[in-house]
Amino acid sequence: MAVLRLRSDLALVILCVGLYVGAAAQVRNPSGSALGLAVHTAFTPVVIVANAVGSGWDLLWAGERTLYDTVDELGRRRAESEALRRSNQLLTAELAALRQGSQLLARFPSVSEGAVLARVVSRDVVLTHSLLLDRGRADGVALDAAVLAGDGLLGRVDRVSDHGARVQLLTHPAAAAAVRIVGLTIEGLLVGGTEPAITQLPPYTQVEPGTAVVSSGSEGIYLPGLLVGTTLEASTKGLFTIVPVRLAARAPEAMVVLVLPAASKVTP
Amino acid sequence: MKLLVAFVVALALHVGFRAAHLWWVLAACQPLLLVIVASARTHAPTGSAWIGLGAGLALDIASGRIIGPGGISGAAAGAVVGIVVRRFELEGPLFWIVGSLLAAATGEILWFAAVFSLGIVPDHGWLGVLATIAMTAAAGLVVAAGERALRAWRSPERARRRLLRRH
Repeated sequence: MAVLRLRSDLALVILCVGLYVGAAAQVRNPSGSALGLAVHTAFTPVVIVANAVGSGWDLLWAGERTLYDTVDELGRRRAESEALRRSNQLLTAELAALRQGSQLLARFPSVSEGAVLARVVSRDVVLTHSLLLDRGRADGVALDAAVLAGDGLLGRVDRVSDHGARVQLLTHPAAAAAVRIVGLTIEGLLVGGTEPAITQLPPYTQVEPGTAVVSSGSEGIYLPGLLVGTTLEASTKGLFTIVPVRLAARAPEAMVVLVLPAASKVTP
Repeated sequence: MKLLVAFVVALALHVGFRAAHLWWVLAACQPLLLVIVASARTHAPTGSAWIGLGAGLALDIASGRIIGPGGISGAAAGAVVGIVVRRFELEGPLFWIVGSLLAAATGEILWFAAVFSLGIVPDHGWLGVLATIAMTAAAGLVVAAGERALRAWRSPERARRRLLRRH
């Protein structure tokens, strides 16, 4: 029996030639290869895994990019939010001031003519017991003009410049005002301080706690009838009855005040 | 046996690299050509040519091309790589880099030659050839780096260092 022995390299060349001829035949009669389909079917899981890996990477990449964008956007939004917050605070303060001013004008319609609405620029209710206002002589604010808050009398203007004024509060130790307790005909002198009190009342004057105290206007600064506060428990010390007063106006909360014309200019 | 496993892995990579969600440049990589390069270490040029023939045919089948030109070019590439590796005694990273470059270049040039002679319009142009050569060489570089790292990991020096550190 004859055995066909073929050198490996020769066999390879012959096979390559055969492949070439086969390829030429395929070109002449093109038809789809089932082998290719089989390979692709066999390796479908590989494609799925590769797609999953690629998709995961895409997501990661997109996520990183989005993260950076988000951080930048967050920074911008935070800055914007901060600016808006400040603006909102200012607007809120403005609104509250306007509301207070409106309330003031509505509460004191009889004295609002010639009065000046002023904003409290700064305040010191602990040491100097004063307020600084943004209105001054140029706006019609005069020295010794009475200053009202929504709840009552605050004090008087003790210093005035062209565009600003300082208010001496009734809590100032040097402050004083002639007052009258509602229901009593006699007048007293309200002396300022941390605990303002009415002095110079006759001894053993009976005063009901919680009685309204109004200005009498005798000192020539405050218009008569302005609410100052309410009385506390009265006591007689020496020759006078002392009546502590709880002031009606709260200086720490005043944002807008009404500066009345100086009493000398106002015709009663 | 190792070559067979490498062949299957390379075929899987060849198909996997064409996945839609992967970077499109990866599709230019021909991992099967690296199997031809790997075979040049243990086989004679004729043996590498046979393996190249198989790899080329697998490429043709997997790529959905006309079966034949890929096999011929693969066989030629295997022979060329085998001869060059033996002639210049290539070793280490150079073996992989030069081998993969040579395999890709020879395979692509011969494939083009075969395709043109058959009157077939090739499915890619010169840019595709360059991309294939570049990506396959890059894959060769990766394999070389991996092999070097593996060799360093398994080296007796490292084992000795570890032993000395324990004591």
